[in-house]
Amino acid sequence: MDVVQEVLEKHRKELDKYKPITVEKHLECRLDVGTLLITDPNDLDDRQIASAEKENYLRALTRDNTQLLVNAIWELNTERVDESIVAKLPEPTTVLPRMRKPPGPRVLTKWEKFAKEKGITKKKKEKKTYDEVLDKWVPTYGFKRAEAEQNKDWVLEVPQNVDPNTDMFQKKMDLRNEKVAKNEIQRMKNIVRAKKIEMPRSGYLGPEAATSSQLLTAVTVAKSSTASVGKFQNKLPKEREARGLGVKELIPGAKRKQSHIADQPEKEANLDLIKSVLNKKPKLDVEKAISLQKQDERLARDAESGNKPAKKSSKKGKGSRKAVGKKPKGNRGQRAPGKKAAAGRKRR
Amino acid sequence: MKRLSEERTKILFEKLSKYIGTNVKQLIDRADGTYCFREHRDRVYYVSERILKLSECFSQKQFACVGTCFGKFSKTNKLKLHITALSFIAPYAQYKVWVKPSFEQQFLYGNHIPKSGLGRITENAAQYQGVVVYSMNDLPLGFGVLARSTTDCKSADPLTTVCFHQSDIGEYIRAEDSLF
Amino acid sequence: MGRKAEYSEKQKKGPGRKARKQGPPTFPKKSFAPLEVEDQKLSHRQKQRLVKRVQKKVVQKAKLKEKQAKGKQQVRKQKTYNSDSEPEDEVKKQQSSSDEEVPQLVPIPDIVKQKTIKGFTDENKDWLKLKKQQKKVLPKPEHESVDEDNSDEEEHSVGSDAEEDSEAELDSDSGNGFEADSDDEIEEEDSEDDGYDGTKVGKLDDLSDDDEDANSDDDFDVSDAETADSGENASDDDDDDDDDDKLPIERANKRLKKREAQEALLAEEEAQMAIDQQDVFKFPDENDEDESGLTLQEVQQRIKDVSLVLSDFKKYRQADRSRGEYIDLLRRDLCLYYSYNEFLMGKLMDMFPLTELMEYLEASEVPRPLTIRTNTLKTRRRDLAGALINRGVNLDPLGKWTKVGLVIFNSQVPLGATPEYLAGHYMIQGASSMLPVMALTPQEKERILDMCSAPGGKGSHIAAIMKNTGVLFANDSNRDRCNAIKANFHRLGIVNAVISCEDGTKFRNIISGFDRVLLDAPCTGTGVVSKDPSVKSTKSEVDVQRCYNLQRKLLLTAIDCTDAKSATGGYIVYSTCSVLPEENEWVIDYALKKRNVKLVPTGLDFGVDGFTKFRQHRFHPSLSLTKRYYPHTHNMDGFYVAKLKKFSNTIPLTKEQQEDDEKQLDEAIPTDQSTNVSNEDDAGAAEDTDKSSRKLLGKRAGKPNLTDIEAELKKKKLEQSKTKYVAKVFEKPIKVEKKPKANEPPVPPNLSTNGIQEKTKNIIDKKAKLKKNDVSALHTVLPAAVNGRGSNDKKQSAPAAQFNKKPSTPSHQYNKKQSTPPTKSNKGQKTLGAQSKKEQPAQLNRGQSPPAPQPKKDQPTPTIKSSKKELTPGAKSKKEQSTPSTQSGKTSKKSALVPKVKVNIDDLPILEGKPIKKQNLKHKSKQIGNLKKSKSGINAKPQTGNKQKFKNKK
Repeated sequence: MDVVQEVLEKHRKELDKYKPITVEKHLECRLDVGTLLITDPNDLDDRQIASAEKENYLRALTRDNTQLLVNAIWELNTERVDESIVAKLPEPTTVLPRMRKPPGPRVLTKWEKFAKEKGITKKKKEKKTYDEVLDKWVPTYGFKRAEAEQNKDWVLEVPQNVDPNTDMFQKKMDLRNEKVAKNEIQRMKNIVRAKKIEMPRSGYLGPEAATSSQLLTAVTVAKSSTASVGKFQNKLPKEREARGLGVKELIPGAKRKQSHIADQPEKEANLDLIKSVLNKKPKLDVEKAISLQKQDERLARDAESGNKPAKKSSKKGKGSRKAVGKKPKGNRGQRAPGKKAAAGRKRR
Repeated sequence: MKRLSEERTKILFEKLSKYIGTNVKQLIDRADGTYCFREHRDRVYYVSERILKLSECFSQKQFACVGTCFGKFSKTNKLKLHITALSFIAPYAQYKVWVKPSFEQQFLYGNHIPKSGLGRITENAAQYQGVVVYSMNDLPLGFGVLARSTTDCKSADPLTTVCFHQSDIGEYIRAEDSLF
Repeated sequence: MGRKAEYSEKQKKGPGRKARKQGPPTFPKKSFAPLEVEDQKLSHRQKQRLVKRVQKKVVQKAKLKEKQAKGKQQVRKQKTYNSDSEPEDEVKKQQSSSDEEVPQLVPIPDIVKQKTIKGFTDENKDWLKLKKQQKKVLPKPEHESVDEDNSDEEEHSVGSDAEEDSEAELDSDSGNGFEADSDDEIEEEDSEDDGYDGTKVGKLDDLSDDDEDANSDDDFDVSDAETADSGENASDDDDDDDDDDKLPIERANKRLKKREAQEALLAEEEAQMAIDQQDVFKFPDENDEDESGLTLQEVQQRIKDVSLVLSDFKKYRQADRSRGEYIDLLRRDLCLYYSYNEFLMGKLMDMFPLTELMEYLEASEVPRPLTIRTNTLKTRRRDLAGALINRGVNLDPLGKWTKVGLVIFNSQVPLGATPEYLAGHYMIQGASSMLPVMALTPQEKERILDMCSAPGGKGSHIAAIMKNTGVLFANDSNRDRCNAIKANFHRLGIVNAVISCEDGTKFRNIISGFDRVLLDAPCTGTGVVSKDPSVKSTKSEVDVQRCYNLQRKLLLTAIDCTDAKSATGGYIVYSTCSVLPEENEWVIDYALKKRNVKLVPTGLDFGVDGFTKFRQHRFHPSLSLTKRYYPHTHNMDGFYVAKLKKFSNTIPLTKEQQEDDEKQLDEAIPTDQSTNVSNEDDAGAAEDTDKSSRKLLGKRAGKPNLTDIEAELKKKKLEQSKTKYVAKVFEKPIKVEKKPKANEPPVPPNLSTNGIQEKTKNIIDKKAKLKKNDVSALHTVLPAAVNGRGSNDKKQSAPAAQFNKKPSTPSHQYNKKQSTPPTKSNKGQKTLGAQSKKEQPAQLNRGQSPPAPQPKKDQPTPTIKSSKKELTPGAKSKKEQSTPSTQSGKTSKKSALVPKVKVNIDDLPILEGKPIKKQNLKHKSKQIGNLKKSKSGINAKPQTGNKQKFKNKK
């Protein structure tokens, strides 16, 4: 008996160590077992919170509420799986807010966007097509397509205008590779576009890749990237400035219009300019020199022949007229004044 | 209405000096007041400073033109002299070409001058020299550049072009819309 | 002229439009030329009718035979009678009709009579008829029967044709039978032909008249033949006597002379007939007239007829038709013939007397000669003429009045494309376009403005006269047309020009101080109909109104842009290519009223003087200094030129403003007597109508008459405003004449001043504007002397305004923020809005000016609060309320003077009677209405100050 008593006592004592599993609440708590959520609508005890017992109070409160939740869980159907008891939680009733915004639809690639705009729809291609050269069905794309291609183009013609030593197979391969590379670049660009990442519009892309306008832009930007916004950079003769969309934005300070009006009075500045223009060293003009030479010679000849020239000239005038024997042109003489051949034919 | 940039001024003077040579100076260095070049909607106007000041009361939008229009800068910064500049080029021209009366009308329709249409020509003009074209009774008709030097002209055959047409007074009618 | 020069030369085709238009006259209705029917091919029905007619005639003849047999004896008696004039005919007819029952026997008595005279038998008649049909076949029997003379003649004129033959017959034997027959025919035609309307009443007079008309061409009418006949008969007898003892040649001569005399007589007769024909112009019936059926020729004839009638209305009129009806008809015909619209034609008919109108219309149809103007900057006229003549142009100097004009008769080359043209040696320009520039007389080194410049003809003329010195501003609001100016100026080598495309009416804000301004205003172009015929049909009242409103605006701007202090100039030339007085004299007259300008002689020694009166309008007498040009008198486009000189740069207060001031002053006086106020409203209303009628000649002269709709609108607005504001009470013009009655003995001076004011008002209307200042000074002094209140004169008001300025400055700002332009209110409710606006500052002032001064409270005024109540017409209390409001309104107006003076002129609506920014105004006035409710007579202080100032001045 004693033993029984003792055991019971012990058990009771043990039980006393634990708090009871029943919890009393003034207001019922809301439970959402699906998300293991319990919401306690009861007010906190202000005095307890204010006192030193705050931590204990909160801990006790938390335990109670947790107990309620565990109680609710135990009410669910349980089963034993591998030494552990498992309960199936019901569907959560509380709607939780998302941390991130939901992803939008996939951003269209450039082609897809274009196709959508233009109303271009993809045409389904047959998986196999009949090749007349090979006289069999070959895959349109993919596995064994390349093999088929190889079989088909076992020989390639070298066009007439091309160096006969060129490897046309290599060329074909290059073309293909280029296509692939281009496709890859476009794919990348599409990704960049989809992620809305800023990409440099300009930059040195290498002599092979850059277009002339890109190069021009790079030069312009580089030149203006000085402390004085390129004011003191020398210009090459006939140098062009990059223009167009976005160039100005690349140049720091270019939006600010700098006045081209100097301190010098306009008139003097103009006169100076005129002086510089007029004093330009004449470049050696061979044509002019020759024509001058010719003229001199002619004058000398005229001088030599003495009084002949007059006679000669008159004769010449008449003779030439006769010799040329201009046909009546019927007002069409001027049709193609630039065309020399026509003039020759006319005199036939 | 703004001052020409130095670059453009230079282009302008270079262009003018092709036709009137050192006489360009006369346009700036005038006894009867200060004259200057101004730019309005890419067009170059030559006007007395006195008038210019008075014209400044108009807004950019409503302002149409002042003085004489000399030409228009293209988008690639090249200057095209307009026929309206003729009244200032003609008096100072160093190299001249006279066309025969029979060819006058054709020139006014924008044709190049062939040898057969050539009445007279200034001596010693080089190839590609800018010239002012006159009718035989000294009426300035336009300007152009020589396709042949004077000496070559003499030996050229009658149908070859002697002078390329650049501008003629017929443009007052033909190109009234684009001229200003 | 606002018209782009047409460079392509028009070649004349054929004899010209005029010639083409005026075909041979045809007569509108058969009544005018019924006998022409003979010339025409007969239609099937007509043939049938003819057959019937013949049958009828046969029957008639049979009857006649019987009758003849009966009445032979009577008839014999009358054989002696030589000349049968119409009355006798009538008598005879009556006689005969008494014994004849045949219904259509009107001509029969004639026949009978003539038969008896000639002693024709029925057989005669028979063959006479036959003769008519086959004249040559049976000459002999006739000769036998008639007297020798005629037979001789027949023999002499061997080669005489059938017509002469028949003539001879008629002359000699007076084929009365035949005549009668033809008459008969006519009669029958009359009765049968549906073309004949009911004009042929049974009256004999009419009938004979008609017959005469009808017989115009190939037959001689009865009386004609008879008179000729009678004369011949008389002389024939003599001839017969002495024929024997004369040589054949003498006889022939005699006969010839006789013949000549006859012919002369006939010609005279014919001329008379032509007139007669016209004078019986019959007014077309409204019901049966079918405008579409009329040919141009018919219309033309009718125009001629009607204008003849109108030329001597008393003589030719149709008794039951009024002059208005004739004029309406004429206008409709002219519209149809010249393809004008009724409006424009009406205007032209108002302007010109009838004959001149026709000339004008005709002249407007043909193009004016092509004229060119030498560009003296590049060449001389002689040189140019030489150069052009070398190109095969036929030209001549254009009149003595110009040294640069050339008129081109014809040209083998297109004048708009000669090298000379392209080199800028001349400009193709109408002769009339040179006139305004000549009137402007530009001087070298001046600053001149050409406000509506495109295509630059006049502008380049100015520059040429200035010799490229000075500055010429050429403006045109149309950008495309600006290009034309540029092209022309460059071509003509003009370097001193500034070309802009601003709105002309805003020019005064951009630049002013011009020595001279040329305003060639855009117009309806009624003077250049020959250039642009579409004007004739497209312009309407609205277009004209739009035009002259714009013109007024432009002219005022032009005047404002001119510098009166210019040493050489200060002139404005106004020109239009329109002939309508609305666009010319009215506009000038308006400007004379609005600005300190006077008319000066244009310096053009030809042209018609401008109108000083036009219909009900009376313009300033100096308008005779302006010049008009017409196509028909000067062979140039219709044009108008006026030259104004600006003598002061100040802009006078507009007359309306002055009058408003006066009105308020007037009203302030009766408010002194609270007892009299009760009747005021009614009196005001009466006065309103009275005044408006009186104003027609005075103030309203030269201004557009309000159409009914406009008037109605105004009335409506007035009504609305009545319910809205208290303010309108003092807007009511108050009869000045009534005041003396109302006024009590204690205030006799008011009476006298009112009378004087009234007089001065009239004086203003009548007197030259030059004296305006003096007169207005008179105005102001009088009231000032009486109650020491208010000043109308601008000069005087200015100090007052200054005085007011300090307290009211914030209010001005407020006003500006509101940015509703103070309307310049020429009439009733307009002033309302404006005034209520002006009151606003007063309200604001009240809050800001420290003490609300009450010096005005010398008369018993109801409480200010009472003015909140709405005034309903007819309510007695209203009248009492009106007193404070008038007073406060007046005072507030004084305070508002300052902003008014400062106001941008642009914002001032210049148009008369045109609601400008109505909604804006309404909106604003609503606000004001709210404000007004707590209104009190403030700002009296400034007035007292004003008063003191006057006293000081004195």
